[in-house]
Amino acid sequence: MKKKKFWNSSRIDSLFTHIVLIAVCSVFAFPVLWLVMASFSKSGSIYDIEGFFPDTLSLASYKNLFLDTAMYDYPNWLKNTLFVAVFSSLIGTVLVILTAYTISRFEFKSRKLLMKSTLVLSMFPSFMGMTAVYLIMVNFNLINQLWSLILIYVAGAPMGYLVQKGYFDTISSTIYEAARVDGATNFKVFTKITLPLSKPIIVYTALTQFAWPWSDFILPNMLLKNKNLWTVAVGLTHLDETQFTRFAAGSVFIAVPIVVLYFALSKFLVAGVSDGAVKG
Amino acid sequence: MSKRKRWISLLLATSLVMTLTGCGGEKKEEKSDEIITLRILENDTAKQEGYLDELLSSFNEAYKDKGIQAVDANMEEYSDLATNGPYGYGPDVIYQANDKLMTYAEDKHILPLTIEDFDCYEYIPEEAWDAFRIQIDGETYCCGIPVNIQEPMLFYREDRMPENWETEWDDDQNGVADFFENWNDLYAYSKYLRDTDTSPNKDSQYGFMSSFNDLYLNGQFLFSYGAYVFAENEDGTLDAQDIGMSAGNAAAGLCGLRQMAALMNEGCIDDTIKMNRYEKIANGTYFCTVSTPDTYSLFIEKLVLAYEGEGMNEAEAAEKATENLKMIELPSLMPADGDLSKDSAEMSEDDWVSTIVMGGVNGYGISSYTEHREACMEFVNFATSYEMIQKRMDMLGIAPTRSDVAEASGGVTDMIFQSLENGNIYLMPSIKAVDQIWVPTHTLLGDIAKDPFREAVGETPKYSSGQDIQTALEKVDKDIYDAIYTLK
Repeated sequence: MKKKKFWNSSRIDSLFTHIVLIAVCSVFAFPVLWLVMASFSKSGSIYDIEGFFPDTLSLASYKNLFLDTAMYDYPNWLKNTLFVAVFSSLIGTVLVILTAYTISRFEFKSRKLLMKSTLVLSMFPSFMGMTAVYLIMVNFNLINQLWSLILIYVAGAPMGYLVQKGYFDTISSTIYEAARVDGATNFKVFTKITLPLSKPIIVYTALTQFAWPWSDFILPNMLLKNKNLWTVAVGLTHLDETQFTRFAAGSVFIAVPIVVLYFALSKFLVAGVSDGAVKG
Repeated sequence: MSKRKRWISLLLATSLVMTLTGCGGEKKEEKSDEIITLRILENDTAKQEGYLDELLSSFNEAYKDKGIQAVDANMEEYSDLATNGPYGYGPDVIYQANDKLMTYAEDKHILPLTIEDFDCYEYIPEEAWDAFRIQIDGETYCCGIPVNIQEPMLFYREDRMPENWETEWDDDQNGVADFFENWNDLYAYSKYLRDTDTSPNKDSQYGFMSSFNDLYLNGQFLFSYGAYVFAENEDGTLDAQDIGMSAGNAAAGLCGLRQMAALMNEGCIDDTIKMNRYEKIANGTYFCTVSTPDTYSLFIEKLVLAYEGEGMNEAEAAEKATENLKMIELPSLMPADGDLSKDSAEMSEDDWVSTIVMGGVNGYGISSYTEHREACMEFVNFATSYEMIQKRMDMLGIAPTRSDVAEASGGVTDMIFQSLENGNIYLMPSIKAVDQIWVPTHTLLGDIAKDPFREAVGETPKYSSGQDIQTALEKVDKDIYDAIYTLK
């Protein structure tokens, strides 16, 4: 019997692939690991960390983050961030799904023009209109309001409907025709047929609508003057230069919910993105 | 079909209405005839150390029958009154350094005040009032009430003094180490520490350390030698067209800065030392460093942490840190020719110039957008009273502008006060154009500080003579001028 070579081409290929993947992962993982380790440093300062990682580890930064709130009220920032992200996600998801569904399923006048316009408008960076947004918010007395952030996030959300439209385009029209034959109204078709078939894209939409306000800095920094209303991103940037480990702990902690959500819903997320990408 | 359209339209409209309803304006505080609420913006240190709470509660207690109450504006300490004030989001009373307040004053964001009406008026020296004066159409207005003087100070650990300093480093035997009296000896001691550093990377002991790119902390290398920011007109106003960073013998001063940088590490080129000085003083790597008095508590905090790491309990560590950390004025003499390497013992009186540091006066201003001008004046009057300034000094370690408080406390506080009166503090100019001086000057100072490290990386030093530095300083003057006037 002929003995199989241990180093055949498939093994070499696999080894090479793994080495490349590990190298690439290390590049991305190392800064995260460094930040996580720094958040456990006892001293509070980046300058006490000799070499890459701190010598003495402690939970002091996390303790300070939640208990020492006189100057930096992290729990309150977290509460504000959660409030803005959850409501932006809920309302934004409804608007995006409705927009995508309407564009995907209905033929109406100026539909193409609308699609082209939204595509062009979505290419402009969001910070371009910040001054105008600020003046509008001032005139409507919406400065220092968490709801003003939600308004802006959800108002801009339907512009990013393309992935969702792509997903709805993949649902066979025969299902809708059958429903129509059975006498279903548009609302019934949407709620009883489209939505149950669209769980992946709804989850994907909700997650993306949640992630943006969760980590956004520019808008809350512009609209929230009162420290009690700051979100985590704004608060962390205002930490004193000597509070690096508190910053690290705050950054690590803010990442936890979003990481958990992504892992828990990864099944839907992958399906949502891949199915939505079939037709753009 | 039309029914379906109606449903979808209804759903869309409902979501929009719900969103808009939710965004309705915050319930405005009911305007009451009885209670006037003042929003006070203090600095973070005052908040952190509990002074702001103390001030607000004392004021509210004293004025509860007069229908005035003060609250923390709860905004970022440097939030821009020019952006927030006109729209009604700014504070009523703002505490800031003179350059910042007077920038607001120039744009009429803060109110001119009748300073004679304030109880502190007669106790504050003219130099401090001048920092808040502005001339408009030939009239002089004062737009701030001075509270404390800021100047760069030297911080060091007493236990890091050389054991033999009284015999080896106190030539005049006056009980003060020579390296705290003149810059040549500070240079000499720093050099001694570097030469005797036996650590493998030669990075375990440094002498004087500073982020040399910072004009405010290192202004002595310019202003002691005749440089100025803006020339003064005969009527006392500043002429922003006459910029004098290169005036006098400023180039010689910067030659000294270059010499001193050679005894530091590359952290002196940028903000590194400014950020790590607290830890490095605490762990003994730096012998001394320069910082402002309001950072005293940060040095203490890090020293306490270091002692706790050595096994002391919190109370012991705090006590030892307070005993051990010293804050003094910068050495008062600089070499007239800028050469720090000369032996001070061989220098005569004429070989020295007095150290003139850059400083500022922090004070209260009243926003032009306040609806309660009189109440604001009551608050500022209360906050600048003897008792409150005394309390501020005790809790924050500041050097007050009130002569009576400074005299009563003596020590470093009184020394800073005297320095202001004697002209050893060059106050930051109180005009808007001052905003443009920082970037060009910081860039040059950082570049000169980099010079001693250039050869090690294969580059040619850029400032090998005083003439090179003079040329660079003249360019800084021009850059500042262009920054002020190009867009005008």
